[in-house]
Amino acid sequence: MKKTTEVKLLTEDWLAVCLGLFLFALSLASIFGVDALGWAVTTSVWTNPAKMLVPTSKMYAAVAGYVSLLITYVFLLVLMSLGAVLLRLNLWRFIKAFTAVFCLGYLSWILGSWAYIAATPDKRASFHIGWSLNLTNEAGYIVALIVGLIVGNFLPVLAARMKEAIRPELYIKTAIVILGGFLGVTAAEQLGLATAVMFSGLCAIIVAYLIYWALVYYVARRYFKFSREWAAPLASGISICGVSAAIATGSAIRARPVVPVMVSSLVVIFAVMELLFLPFMAQTFLAHQPMVAGAWMGLAVKTDGAAVTSGAVAESLIRAKALADFGIRYKPGWIMGVTTTVKVFIDVFIGIWAFVLAWIWSAKIDPKRGEKVKAVEIWQRFPKFVLGYIATFAIILAIGLLAPAQVAKAKAAMAQANVFRGIFFVMTFFTIGVVSDFRKLWQEGIGRLALVYILCLFGFIIWVGLAISWIFFHGVMPPVA
Amino acid sequence: MDTTHSAEATQPKLSEELEKMPYEPLLPIEKKLILWSVLLGLFLLGALVLLNQALFRT
Repeated sequence: MKKTTEVKLLTEDWLAVCLGLFLFALSLASIFGVDALGWAVTTSVWTNPAKMLVPTSKMYAAVAGYVSLLITYVFLLVLMSLGAVLLRLNLWRFIKAFTAVFCLGYLSWILGSWAYIAATPDKRASFHIGWSLNLTNEAGYIVALIVGLIVGNFLPVLAARMKEAIRPELYIKTAIVILGGFLGVTAAEQLGLATAVMFSGLCAIIVAYLIYWALVYYVARRYFKFSREWAAPLASGISICGVSAAIATGSAIRARPVVPVMVSSLVVIFAVMELLFLPFMAQTFLAHQPMVAGAWMGLAVKTDGAAVTSGAVAESLIRAKALADFGIRYKPGWIMGVTTTVKVFIDVFIGIWAFVLAWIWSAKIDPKRGEKVKAVEIWQRFPKFVLGYIATFAIILAIGLLAPAQVAKAKAAMAQANVFRGIFFVMTFFTIGVVSDFRKLWQEGIGRLALVYILCLFGFIIWVGLAISWIFFHGVMPPVA
Repeated sequence: MDTTHSAEATQPKLSEELEKMPYEPLLPIEKKLILWSVLLGLFLLGALVLLNQALFRT
């Protein structure tokens, strides 16, 4: 593999911040009367293909849907290609790969928006259909994941050709930066509820770092006889935030790089499994407690991409069920908002946790190394995309609090940015599918690692996460639209 | 963080790595770390639950 890390002008983390803030700024221009993103394509639930694609803004109503899609693709291609240059990727290969990712991802979204899959019961009559799966048009995410899994597991040549643009972390981090603004609007509208959501983030930190980590580490060391070099990254990968935590921990305790890499590949596969069944469990058992479901996704599903996208899927499934069963139409964004807040709070502390572990390892467990741990390592390991998320959230919240009359405009602006959040989400789902190589589960030796994961996940992570979510959110309902 | 570009081609076999793994008994400091971590976690969680009740449930 070509080594690119030494010559990067920008890390993926910072690139996500730049991309997210750029799109956020363009959308914000609409507050000042400049419709900079109104041409971007949105996908509606459809039976007539002619009506499935439309531009976001009414100002561009005359533009045909497929033209809007083409403009959106070209715009994102240019933007992402600039990013690829900054990441020092092979530009031509990236352009081809990104085109494939965009096309397959967007086609999945279109397919998932077909009325027979997506229409909620109250809309069936308007589409002249007698039945539908009631999955809302976010079913496109699930279709994208399935298509990605097919490519990743059965079409290895195609997957290899797309490798340059298979970057789920970049896509999800960009989406999270954009999401900050969208959640800022919801927070400005319901400040009390938003504060409670933030508070739950604090609890998530405690659960993930102090309880989950310690228990997984103990299980791995005591019952599965893993060495410290393996047990610590494994505990971080399973209990905190998947890949980034495993890598940060591996580096903190000076494990060989191969250890967190092997742990990470397992974490990604299991995160996808969680993504495939937990949102449906949430819909089945927690439709009457939607905020509990959102927090649960954030606490139980590992990796940023899988967790936030689980929140998105859980939200669409629960909103659809609440509408069908109880006639309640919850405002969008709140369930996924809890998931994202929980996940972002957990991410913030990865650097500090790695610093703490580095200190314990160098001072108490392996003192012969004689290396001093520097506080700057906290900043080096800090996930920078969180800064983008905080910035967009704070800007919109400040607009909402300081100039309440502008909330409606800010909301419309964020709706435009949200179009791109959706596109980045669908590309995240697709690329997560591609990187989830289930053949690794048949790899010799994986059983012992997987057993720790399964035992901890089903033994306590899912249930403790559910209990904590229940304690903090039972009876708390998202606002009704 | 990069989930996609693991150096699989040059990566040693997982089974070989696990076979090479030495047995390391749990040190007292590790037991302390685990115990204090869980206790502190439970204590802080309890405090936050109470605070949550006081601030948001009234």
